[in-house]
Amino acid sequence: MRVVNMYAEVDPEKCTGCRVCEKVCPTISIKVVGEKKEKLAVVDLNTCVGCGACVERCQFEAVVLKTLDESRIISVNPHSVDEEKVSELCIKARLHPEQIICYCTGTRAEEVAAAILMGASSPEEISRMTGVRTGCKVECIQPILRLLKAAGIEPKPIEGGWQWYGITPTIWDIPEDVIKKYSARGFYFEEDRALFKKLLDTVKAGGE
Amino acid sequence: MITRNIKFNQPVKPLPPKPSRYGPDPEYIKTRGCDLENIVSVNVRELFPDIPENIYPSEKGIKAVRDATVAALEKVDMSMIKPGDSVNVLGSHHGFTILGGEPYAEMLKTIKDVIMEKTGTENIRLRVGVGLRFRESDEYIKRFGLDEYFNKRAIGVAPIDEGIPIETEIGTLYGIKRCYDADWIVHAHNSDVREIHFHRHVDRAVKPFGMSYARIETRSTYHQNLGPRGANFVARAIFNSEFVQKKWTFATFLKPTPAGIASVDADNDLFALDERLSIDNFRYYGKILTLLSHIDECIAVLDFQAPIPYVFSAGMIFANFSAASIDVFDLDYPLPGYTWYTEAFYGEGDRPLIPDIPPVNPAIKAMVINYAWGGYPSVFWAKMIPTIVVGEWQAEVFRRDPQNVEFMKHAVVADDLPTAIEFAMKIADTDKIIIFDGAPGAINVSESLAEELVEKAPDVDREVEQKLLPKWCRQRGIKLEGYAGAEAH
Repeated sequence: MRVVNMYAEVDPEKCTGCRVCEKVCPTISIKVVGEKKEKLAVVDLNTCVGCGACVERCQFEAVVLKTLDESRIISVNPHSVDEEKVSELCIKARLHPEQIICYCTGTRAEEVAAAILMGASSPEEISRMTGVRTGCKVECIQPILRLLKAAGIEPKPIEGGWQWYGITPTIWDIPEDVIKKYSARGFYFEEDRALFKKLLDTVKAGGE
Repeated sequence: MITRNIKFNQPVKPLPPKPSRYGPDPEYIKTRGCDLENIVSVNVRELFPDIPENIYPSEKGIKAVRDATVAALEKVDMSMIKPGDSVNVLGSHHGFTILGGEPYAEMLKTIKDVIMEKTGTENIRLRVGVGLRFRESDEYIKRFGLDEYFNKRAIGVAPIDEGIPIETEIGTLYGIKRCYDADWIVHAHNSDVREIHFHRHVDRAVKPFGMSYARIETRSTYHQNLGPRGANFVARAIFNSEFVQKKWTFATFLKPTPAGIASVDADNDLFALDERLSIDNFRYYGKILTLLSHIDECIAVLDFQAPIPYVFSAGMIFANFSAASIDVFDLDYPLPGYTWYTEAFYGEGDRPLIPDIPPVNPAIKAMVINYAWGGYPSVFWAKMIPTIVVGEWQAEVFRRDPQNVEFMKHAVVADDLPTAIEFAMKIADTDKIIIFDGAPGAINVSESLAEELVEKAPDVDREVEQKLLPKWCRQRGIKLEGYAGAEAH
């Protein structure tokens, strides 16, 4: 769930049409239109959630965040879809359904799983539906990709975009020889695997 | 309570507020925590006399940092860099938060000068990484004139900038392309424990390869995929990759203690440097954090130009203090009271999903935010600790912050700091106050808390030296015996 209380506004006098804003927008809500000297970034206010990625990366200070007259909420109710399927999807991704995966919005794995079950097939669609990945824009891409993969979906990064590049390893993918090699150096992979397993076992057992 | 014969000092004035797009206008910050009644300062060397002498602040001024950097770099091999080669000096925003940032800026400038002198190349660039405030490094580059110093070749880089895949022994991870767009890289960082709740002081010196120089995919792997004690392995995996090793030259670290800057260390061997700084950090920061973790009850006043987790007291950041319901150095504990894995494992209604989750440091009975930035997801603290925000200007920082949209739902606003403290004392039922204001070399606290710290420090000193330090080293495979000590480096 995300409270949207801001939106991005472009200053046409400062915008050079460099397209950096396009490349970093997690909801694909800003696009450069026009040709040559007429190029200008345009914000889609229907999908902009005011995350500020464009503001923060514009080297020309051409984008600012403005306060909405009336805030709105974007969310997916995980209880509005088959809860068993939500749970199955989360467990397949090795995430507890109630586990927080976006520390800025407090979005839990179950909300993203529900969005996928409702048809979302890319991180961008999920961000538009739930608001996940629209706070810091940094820490939550992997659980989103893990949940999509668990649903059998392999989204492609946006061509030319920098939104995201690919799925990365989890603790379950670390080769045994690597675990063995570094366990005496303070990397407690076996013990952390046991912690995650304990967490997931509470779901299988029907909660605490 | 019996106290040693220490006369408490007047509170140490913190640095004045700095203008930043992430914080309130400094004009609003009229009253500081140290201006409150009954606040005194405790010099950290009076608590732990073995903390090494400062090179900065000292009577030698900032030149001491330059001299220490030059001396440290004398033993470093730069022969791989040829005239005309391009070199990226990789820095991080963290260094600029230490003692106002000037020591770190001076170290960066000196590294550039020494590389030029020793190798003959002039193509030296500065790339300064950030965390979640993507323009923070640009502010420091401007403030310290680094763009001019690096001949218009200094830029801030962010984790959402263009990436580059890096093949590692655990699979593909991603770095920031502009960090690696040179023939050679130099790793220029700071050694304080800082986010020990995240890295658990396993490969501390390597961390920026998985953070400041890394893309979102890598950072998300760190905080979501690898677990609370294995997270920092992404940094080692990237550092050990063929891609990075082909560009690797040496590391230079500013070495603070809780009292100030003790030295500068440099080495071609990053892991050797890591072992040295680990022992020093366990000894000095370990004692301070262990002491702070022994506080029974307090009100924490946040009053520094940084987001909530990064405000300082005696060199420790608030996140460490809030995590200190367990010994965060001890790897037998899977989860500290605060880390993102801990936060993740609170279910609906803030119910812990497993019993292994320690609470946020229960000694913190209330949190008063007099001055702090946004730009870091902080709702967790407001939900876990009764929170009072001083002034609408400070509340507005959180309301307008995409990372803290709901923060003020869990906090109340007081018109001024004395009113906030008065209210905090009522709800916390304590007069013990600790101020996170970055005061150099000292902790600003209420007299009641000063007495408690002084009373407990000798036992903490013994506990760390005799029991904890050997254990922390043993857990990480670090050999303590034969280490010459901080001042030898």
